[in-house]
Amino acid sequence: MRERATGRRRAVAAAVVALALVLSLASCSAGGPPSIVGKQTLRIGVKADQPGLGLRLPDGKFAGFDVDVALYIAAKLGVRPDHVTFVPVTSATRETALENGSVDMVIATYSITPERETKVAFGGPYYVAHQDTMVRAGDTAIRSVHDLGGKRLCAVAGSNSWKRVTQELSIAAVLVPAASYSACVAMLLDGRVDAVSTDDLILAGFAARAGPAVRIVNAPFSYERYGIGIRKGDLSGCEAVNRAVSQMYLDGTAAALLQKWFGSTRLQLDTYVPQFEGCQ
Amino acid sequence: MTGPVSDSGGSTLKVLAATTPPPSRELHGRWPAARFRRLGLQTTPGRIRALAAVVVLAIAGFYIVANIAVGNVRDGLRVIGHDAGPQVLATGDLYFALSDMDSQVASILLTGREYSAGTGQQALNRYGQDRARADRAALQAAELSAGDPTDQAAVRSILDGLGQYERLASQAMVLDAQANHPAGPPPRNVIAVYRQATDLMTLELLPPAYNLTLEGGATVREAYVAKRSAVLSGRLWVALAGLAVFAALAGLQFFIAARSRRRLNPALAVATLGLLLLTVSAVRLLSDQAAHLQAAKTSGFDSILTMSRARAISNSLHADESRFLLDPGRADMYELAYLDKSQTVLYVASGNLGEYYTKLSAAIKAYRANPRAVRFLGFYGDEARADPGPAVDAVLSRFLQLQTDDQRIRQLMGAGHDRQAALLFTDRTAGSPGYDFDQYDQAVVSLIAGHRGTFDQMIRAGDRELGRSVFVSWSVLLALAAVGAAVLVAVGVRARLVEYR
Repeated sequence: MRERATGRRRAVAAAVVALALVLSLASCSAGGPPSIVGKQTLRIGVKADQPGLGLRLPDGKFAGFDVDVALYIAAKLGVRPDHVTFVPVTSATRETALENGSVDMVIATYSITPERETKVAFGGPYYVAHQDTMVRAGDTAIRSVHDLGGKRLCAVAGSNSWKRVTQELSIAAVLVPAASYSACVAMLLDGRVDAVSTDDLILAGFAARAGPAVRIVNAPFSYERYGIGIRKGDLSGCEAVNRAVSQMYLDGTAAALLQKWFGSTRLQLDTYVPQFEGCQ
Repeated sequence: MTGPVSDSGGSTLKVLAATTPPPSRELHGRWPAARFRRLGLQTTPGRIRALAAVVVLAIAGFYIVANIAVGNVRDGLRVIGHDAGPQVLATGDLYFALSDMDSQVASILLTGREYSAGTGQQALNRYGQDRARADRAALQAAELSAGDPTDQAAVRSILDGLGQYERLASQAMVLDAQANHPAGPPPRNVIAVYRQATDLMTLELLPPAYNLTLEGGATVREAYVAKRSAVLSGRLWVALAGLAVFAALAGLQFFIAARSRRRLNPALAVATLGLLLLTVSAVRLLSDQAAHLQAAKTSGFDSILTMSRARAISNSLHADESRFLLDPGRADMYELAYLDKSQTVLYVASGNLGEYYTKLSAAIKAYRANPRAVRFLGFYGDEARADPGPAVDAVLSRFLQLQTDDQRIRQLMGAGHDRQAALLFTDRTAGSPGYDFDQYDQAVVSLIAGHRGTFDQMIRAGDRELGRSVFVSWSVLLALAAVGAAVLVAVGVRARLVEYR
């Protein structure tokens, strides 16, 4: 009888296991790429050389508006600050870093463009900046982007800014390649380029450092919608990021962070939640 | 030690009872004989009672499982069909009305004193209609967002900002009338006030409206994923629970038949048949409802969302065209925004607007030659791949026409003919750019309406089937069937138990 009872118990156990298997198979039908939702740790790509936005400090820590936004969004996704790892990215490496999975998210003055959307997905934008131009203080000939014809313009690999000038606006500037905007500013100061044209937030950070040696022409000519890059196809991640950005504006954090990092500049700061790109 | 067994049926229970382990095992409490005695399981009536209790428990289990599954269907239909789905449509209308208000103000300012062309009055009328539409859509969006404080705050902020926008817009129009300028960009003081108005519109009013549309889309997607899989696994549970009820009833029936001369217990037979029928139709209902949800989402809602977004972005790129003509100081900004938005709607790789016109025309030509070769991305790329047909073809043709008109207008501006460009843009007679834009918008609207038809049909079918199984709703039917089956079991068992008294 004992054998019989254990046999039956085994049969019941087997039936329960089989049922559980069937049910778990039924509920796992919704597949897709791994999402940033539910992760315990996050690797977030930020710039390492842009003061005010993403800058690596001598102690190895990162600081800036993008870094603070990243920490806020991570917190809304349930990831504690000490579980966030910042990974330096450049304009040229952002798509690859997302595609090969070396970062989960990119928050690095990353403008949403239709071309980039063919490779990665964007949450946000979390801010809309405007492209402007920086020249040496003594240079009064350049007063708008249209005065860049024939001038030497810094072209950062992977950046969209120089394309706006030479391709989209068809202005015949002479492109001088560079690896980063910090390199561009150095080249502007030592005369290797005549102008650096990129987002006003980026220029403001460098101008604050370079002091009276440079001048921002203050003739903005584009909308640069800073997106939060995530892997293509992560719909729930994209939706969660958008909700976090909405919250950031609603609870006043966005206004406080903009004030903290750009309050001392002459930039007009918009504190309304931007129109999202939408998740697809 | 075993109690008297009233018959010689070789049931498992009897074997168990006959070979009850020694008392030492009773201390461990596994199947103790004393417990059997307390339950009365050693007698036939006791066993019948116990089996009947198992049947009733199985029926209760079936009821709970089926009720949860039907509840998931109801929730899915409510969120997708009655809350978030309509929210997407209402906020889409709101965006259109708001964006078109700003376009009309720009048209009025561009027309200047050449108002007599009739275009000015038309634009003013349309501005008023847009305003009324915006109010209606905002009201509807507010009703639909009841219970969601974040969404409600967004609708409220739009309505608050709208009053301020109207004040700035009328101020700009008054200044413009005083300036008495020919068609083309108005004087600086007018532009300065218009900039305030249009910035308010594009920074504070339009983004929350668009984000509400997106949020509605996200809610639908989440509800769909969760509810559809819940309905499908619910279907499995219902089938298993139905099977368990059937097995328990068959067991009871078999036991009674074996102990009495009667082959069939009519009450139990009716209960068995009824529950079998109920299980089969519940499984069918859940399959059908999962299919309705899927069709409503993939053939209706997904396209409604994509096309509502395409319509919103198209309106805003059209407004950028008018701002480009109106405000030369920001011409670059508005032209680049126009290109970005055009690319969002229909993407072909191109460095600038000139290249975009060419590549767009080639891509649409190739598509017409072979509709299966969709060589473009963006909203229309998605739509052309998901649901090709004459409705999409019409939208694509008219989008191309819109871009051709835009090219003409920008060429005039580039050649310094500001006045002609402004007159061309504000013209709404047949064949003019304004007319072409309205035709384009109409094509988008009818494409949305087509998908809306599918969506509404699926949701209605779901509601109907859920609301009326045979004569009553499914929730009522399940409750009635469960109680009825339990009563039948009690009646059937009682008739047998009486014989043992």
